[in-house]
Order: sequence, then structure tokens, then C-alpha cells
Amino acid sequence: MRVLSTVKFTALRMLRSYIVLLLLLVVPIILLTVFSFILSGAVPESGVPYINETSMTQVLVFQLFGGSIVMSLIYNDLFTENKIRMYALPFNQTMYAFSIMMCGALFSTLLGALLMVYSQFVLGVMWQNWLWMIYIISLMAVLSIIVCLIFTFSVKNFKIAERLSEVYGIGFVVLAGLFFPMPENGFFDFLGSYGNPLTLSMGAIRDMGESNIGDAWFQANILLGAIIILFVVMLILGRRKIG
Amino acid sequence: MTIFKFALKRSFSNTTNIIFLTLFPIACIFLPNGEEWPFLPYGYQYFGLLILFVGIRLATIILEDREKGVVKRLAVAPISHFQYLSQNLLAYSIILILQCIIVVYGGVLLGKELYQPGWLFILYGSFSFASLAIALAWISIYRNKDASFLVYMSLIFIIVVLGGLLIPIEIFPDLLKRVAVIFPTYWLAEGLKWIVFSEEILDFLLINGVLWLYTIVFVIVGSIRKIN
Repeated sequence: MRVLSTVKFTALRMLRSYIVLLLLLVVPIILLTVFSFILSGAVPESGVPYINETSMTQVLVFQLFGGSIVMSLIYNDLFTENKIRMYALPFNQTMYAFSIMMCGALFSTLLGALLMVYSQFVLGVMWQNWLWMIYIISLMAVLSIIVCLIFTFSVKNFKIAERLSEVYGIGFVVLAGLFFPMPENGFFDFLGSYGNPLTLSMGAIRDMGESNIGDAWFQANILLGAIIILFVVMLILGRRKIG
Repeated sequence: MTIFKFALKRSFSNTTNIIFLTLFPIACIFLPNGEEWPFLPYGYQYFGLLILFVGIRLATIILEDREKGVVKRLAVAPISHFQYLSQNLLAYSIILILQCIIVVYGGVLLGKELYQPGWLFILYGSFSFASLAIALAWISIYRNKDASFLVYMSLIFIIVVLGGLLIPIEIFPDLLKRVAVIFPTYWLAEGLKWIVFSEEILDFLLINGVLWLYTIVFVIVGSIRKIN
């Protein structure tokens, strides 16, 4: 349990990485503010203002990129710069990597929660179910971290792994059809619905809002299943790389 | 023209750059048409976003030179800073222009509805120069290339939204509509609108003029030699 004493410093390192804070907190705040100006007062027939949907999408989209900080910390600590120091320390390196992951997930969820607080109190967005929203956000954060680590472990060049993690984020935003409509065939339909973490989580939150509890849990459980499967993959790849 | 030759080579030497410079423009051609908005196919609306990214990726090569001390060595070599900068910029602009040619005339070959491809090409050209100039000015305030790229990336997203490239500017509230004028992306969006509804040629000249003004101002800001 000596790893616990490092948690404080991991958290500090994350809180001090100003570029991550800029990209995952300041930019979404600016974008949300701009969108709320643009969409102010626009209410469709369903009675839920457009801004609610937009801000939910934004909060979730930025979770797709939450894994980048964990990736760079693990790369620095266990593969390059601090590798020898870390292996000289009397603690379990696997547990250390795991603690960085947990910190990263908490950090990413915290940023998402901050965005929610901001949009509720400053922009007047009403979140229907805070707990459910945070649960989904944390699932997205964990998924993003695991995917990023799989890239780190499986690609030799770290630069390429970083690019791949961006492709993961932007790719799923594009596949969800947020930029432009995707062509309609079986493959893209799947990747725009049940094969896409972004649409899954959006669907889960939307269904919970409409009190379709069964559907909401179904979609959240697909995410959870993906996390479990990818976690095993990550463990296998990580053992090969570290061990 | 040695520097020119090597600037070209370096631009294509890294995998990410090759993808940025060849695959993405080609992908742009194949994006679908919008229903009501945008008026041109989506790929042509978003190509502006791609130009901004390519601009910073290319300009980062100059920053890399500064980081590694190449600029310091060049300062003692019998070559002026003007030659270094102009040949680099020439290489980058040729790449950007080639990209514009691929996108515009590839679209024409595929039979996309582009209204006036010639003018569209000129518009993209002007915007490419503006993008390159802004990127050049941007890197001059940074020492670390990763930080400069990431911060610029976040800036691009905000500029693109505020300039009306991602969302039609008509639905903006009045204040944002007026503020949008200061962003180069606004002028690109206006230009694209002109291509579709072509009214007076003077308007188009004004749009290009503003983009060139950005180019000149930012090249002057960015061309100051920095040795650190």
C-alpha cells in the first residue's frame, strides 16, 4: 500500500498540467458559453431547449480525450524519463500504473462535473439526473483511458500512439454524425448507434431523462462490457510491454 | 534554393504530416452535400479547418529549427534570415496551393456542384496564405512545439465556431455577428457564400483583400528573427 503515498503527487501533477486544463476545461467552457449565446431561447416542440442537448454532447465529447494525460504520465514514469527511478522504488509498479489510471479517471470525471456545474449555474441548463450523468461520464473517462493505454502499449512510437488517441476521439465524434450526416448503410449505422461510445452514452442519458430506465441501463451496460473486455486486452498488452 | 528543397522534403518526412497533407484533402472531396446548410458540400466548408491545421503543422517546422538551435547555426552561416524564411514559406505555400488544387479540381472531376471552381480556388489560396501567416506569428511567441500546437488547436476550434464556419452566422445574436468580423474564418465563410450566390465581383475582392491584409500583418509580426 505504499503506492497510496504517491497518489497525492499524481493528483498534483494532473492539476498542474495547464495544457490539459486548457483543452478539457477552458475550451469547452468557452464553447458552451458561445453556444448558449447562439441558441439562447431556441426551444423546439418537445419543450427541452436545444442548449441542454448541446451541452450534454459537449461534456461527453470532451470525455473522449480524457485519457491523454494518463497516457503521457505512464509513458514518462514507466517507459522513459523516470523509468529507472520508478523501478528502484519499493512499491508494486503495476499498482502504481493502476493508481495513475484511477487518478486520471477521477480527474476527468471531475472536469466533466465542473462543466456540468458551470452550465447549470451560469448558463441555466437543467440536468435531470446528476448521479446518472456522472456515472456515464466516469464510464466514458475510464473507457478513454483504457483505449489510450492500449495504444501506448501496442504502438512502438509514442507520437503515433498520441495521434491514435486523437483519432479515437475525433473519429467517434465524426462517426456519431455531429459534423455531417454519415452515409446510410449497415456499417455506419452500427458505428453511429451501438458501436459508438459517444452515441451510447448520449442515448443512455436521453433515455434516463425520458424515464426509459431499461433502455438506459442497457446502453450503459454495453459501455461497461466494452470497458471490461478492453481492460483485459490492456492487461495482456501491458504485461508484455512492462514485464 | 537548397533550403527550399529541404523544407519540401521535411514537410513530407513525417507520417502524420503525410496523412494531413494528402489523405485529409482527398477525404474532403468525398464528404456529402448538406441539406439546407452549408451551401457547398460539407468537405468544402470544413476544408478551411483543415487549412488552419496544415498551416500550424508546417509552421511548426520553423519552431523545431529554433528549438534545436538550427537558427543559431544559420545565423553564422553565409545565408540571410530573409532567405531562410522566404524559402521555407515558399515551400509551405506551394504545398498548400497544391492541396487547394487537389480539393477544388478533384471535386470538379468527380462532378461536385461547386458553382465557380476558379474563384473557389483563389479564395482557398488567399485563406491558405492567411492561415500560414497566422501560424507563423503564433509560433514566434512559443518555445515548445507541443504546447504551441495544442493551444493553437484549441484556439482554432473557437475561431471556427465564432467565425461561422461550423454554424451558419445568420443564427448568431447581433453582438456575436459583429464580433465575428475580426476572425479570418468569417471572411472565408463569406467568400464561400459569395461563390454560391455570386453577386458583385467587388465583394469578392474585398473578402480576398481582408485575407491578404491578415497575411501581410501576421507575416510581418512572425518574421522577426528570434534566437534563443
